[in-house]
Amino acid sequence: MLDEIMKKSKPKNIENAIKKLSEKLGNKKISIKPADLFSYSHDYWLITFHWLLQGKVPAFPDVVVWPESREDVVEIVKIAHEEGVPVYPYGGGSGVLGGAIPEYGGIVVDVKRMRSVQVHEEDLVVEAETGINGHYLEEYLNKRGYTLGQIPQSLYPSTLGGWIATKAIGQFSTKYGGIEDMLLGIEAVIPPGKIVELKPHPRTATGPDLRKLFVGSEGIFGIITKAWLKIWPYPEERFLMSFASETLEDALDSVRRILRRGAKPAVVRIYDKIETKRHFYKFDEMYGKVGTVIIVEGDPKIARTEKEIVEEEFKGKPMGEEPVKHWLETRFIVKEVSEFAPLGVVIDTIEVAVNWSNAAKLYYNVVNAMKSVKGVLFASAHASHFYPQGVCFYFTFAGLPPKNVSATEFYNQVWDKAMKATLESGGTISHHHGIGRHRAKWLAEELDGAYELLKKIKHVIDEKNIINPGNMGV
Amino acid sequence: MPGKWDWLKDEIGFSNLLTGGKMLLKVISGKLSVDDLTKCALCPNMCRHTCPVSIVDGRETTSPAGKARVAFMIREGRLELNLENLEPLYMCLSCNICTLYCPFEFSVADLTRPINEEAVKKGVVFEEFKKVFENLENYGDVYGAKSEEENGKGKVLYIRGCTIRNELPELSEKALSLLKKLGFEVFTINETCCGIPAYNLGNVELFKKLADENAKKINQSKAELVITSCPSCAYAYRVLYPKYGVKLKPKVVHITEILGDRLKGLKAEGEVTYHNPCKLALGLDQKELLKDILNKIEGLTVKEPRKEFFCCGYGGSAISRLNPELAEEIAQERRKQLKDGADKVITACPSCKLALNSDELEVLDIVEFAHQLLGE
Repeated sequence: MLDEIMKKSKPKNIENAIKKLSEKLGNKKISIKPADLFSYSHDYWLITFHWLLQGKVPAFPDVVVWPESREDVVEIVKIAHEEGVPVYPYGGGSGVLGGAIPEYGGIVVDVKRMRSVQVHEEDLVVEAETGINGHYLEEYLNKRGYTLGQIPQSLYPSTLGGWIATKAIGQFSTKYGGIEDMLLGIEAVIPPGKIVELKPHPRTATGPDLRKLFVGSEGIFGIITKAWLKIWPYPEERFLMSFASETLEDALDSVRRILRRGAKPAVVRIYDKIETKRHFYKFDEMYGKVGTVIIVEGDPKIARTEKEIVEEEFKGKPMGEEPVKHWLETRFIVKEVSEFAPLGVVIDTIEVAVNWSNAAKLYYNVVNAMKSVKGVLFASAHASHFYPQGVCFYFTFAGLPPKNVSATEFYNQVWDKAMKATLESGGTISHHHGIGRHRAKWLAEELDGAYELLKKIKHVIDEKNIINPGNMGV
Repeated sequence: MPGKWDWLKDEIGFSNLLTGGKMLLKVISGKLSVDDLTKCALCPNMCRHTCPVSIVDGRETTSPAGKARVAFMIREGRLELNLENLEPLYMCLSCNICTLYCPFEFSVADLTRPINEEAVKKGVVFEEFKKVFENLENYGDVYGAKSEEENGKGKVLYIRGCTIRNELPELSEKALSLLKKLGFEVFTINETCCGIPAYNLGNVELFKKLADENAKKINQSKAELVITSCPSCAYAYRVLYPKYGVKLKPKVVHITEILGDRLKGLKAEGEVTYHNPCKLALGLDQKELLKDILNKIEGLTVKEPRKEFFCCGYGGSAISRLNPELAEEIAQERRKQLKDGADKVITACPSCKLALNSDELEVLDIVEFAHQLLGE
């Protein structure tokens, strides 16, 4: 009764594969029940929720498996390889680009039952299986006096494995970095069922950095089963600052100068005028301006110095702690899709990165490109992650498809415009959401010749093309 | 101060008002809205981290939004209303911790309950639940125990609840003794189950029947105050009965609520942590009560558990019956979190005590602890 929209094919040997999975893992770890197949027929790619509301799913898997150890994962990959049946790793399902959709049918492997964790305090390292929930991991560390510093908006639903696979980043990234900066060691299972373990070291010069092969791999090389990550002592001091600037350029340039001086505020977020109105409407003096929130934290002496640098460099009226407290209280509220998608409103977010020299140009080009699509009600952005070299813009658009244009067509029109404007403005098409199935065509454009290299690497590791086939278009 | 949606009004220009912006304005003015189950089904699971089932079970299907999506598809007729599809909906502890993190303050248990209720009405019922319903119908006791106790009379009625009567009778003795020491002259009656297991499992009709029986018995006893050691009973009497139009004349409190300052100044040694029973902390909105009482005891070091709220695994009546292994796994996870606080745990619920007490963790009900402090 639920139609499939994206299903390409059904694996020939699936019955054999299910039989073998049942023999090797036992029936408790696998399911072919309709409710389970439905639950893994999608991730959080927003346009697919318009389909769900109409009783349509992206694509059903044929079976779902919940391994409890890396040995279980080895068995699954072996069976998949032997039978030529696709395998799709699954974490929190909060990816927004369709990276976990089982479009060729086969086996979804949900690793969330693999969630052990331990801290190596002297080495400032946490070792965890990749099914561990993000918030669970951070809370576990906090209780022991540490932080990972990886606080994405998906902290509550997402998993460690998902963070690595999508090259995720958190709200506190300007100090702590993205997941790639935290990753010290990794364990993964690749076809035909082999464990690859890259042990954690403070640094290692042992050929090309193979750990990085799995960062942002989006499940096309194997299933990540464990990781070792850097941790930090929980910050003793925290300063909250906010500013109201006249222009976006003033705020961007302020942060550029702060980072040039070597200060590393944990959180920096610059909201354009629309988003400042949207998020900070309770603060009269920010209304109509460009609002910025900043958090500096860490060792008290270092944090005090960084705070001084921020105060010296920021061009804008200081607005105090309250807007930052408001941001802290509301940063995990995600409800727009719930409120508006059933009414036909198409909403999405698009994050891209760009060097400072092209930052303002890219912002205006992308906003204007999105607004040029008929039906778009608004397009806005905030700058959410910062580097001495540049910035990530996080765009939001919402609109109502004009008559005779489907939600999906409208959605693709806006995305096409935004991606084209990003590439033309010298940006990269993704900062941290990744590629998935949705962005695949633009990945080929951005990587150009290197896209062939990616395909070749994929083929060498996964010659039967069974690990998340079709993702990223490779 | 500008309004919450002024930014959007500014952005939706005149031309957009004609092409659909009008509908958006209706939404933001509250004239048009989406139903709650649909909203939950469209959420990326922003409460997953609070859900003990989701953390331990790991299945998307039993995650909070996963359950809502299955319920949504059943409601829309896209998934069949059968036991196989109902199973994930019953993988809920009814702890309502999800509510704390939901931007809409939804309880997933409440959102999916109508589907379970419809199933019971249509006779789509798990065998494991039929036995519970039989026990409740025939004996007014979830364990199926027949009681011939006589009804007492007085001003303060002490209600033990099914779990204490059947599994922890010594806790009842200690509670009676404690209440006496605190100056309460209490009496007991031949109790009938409050009905919460029937409510949890979707049998509203049976729940209402038991609620009416309870109300009759309690009201006839002429008690002015009802004290119970069972948070679920207290929750049923105080929160659920009024919702279903069942009136209890006396005021109802959980025993922890009358301890208040009465343990202040007592002396104890060592470290304890605490386990908040869901129905007390969240159901009766007494989130700080247990911690506060313990903090008033002199010399006692009260350590916070790793997670402030996390069900013991035995709430909600369904999981322990349909999937006892999962209930035990959740209890094991909770023990680990509590051990991050201390090796001795104080709770205030007989089911939580039964679930969590183990070789590695000593779990005392607040009644036992208070009884100890006041001298046995």
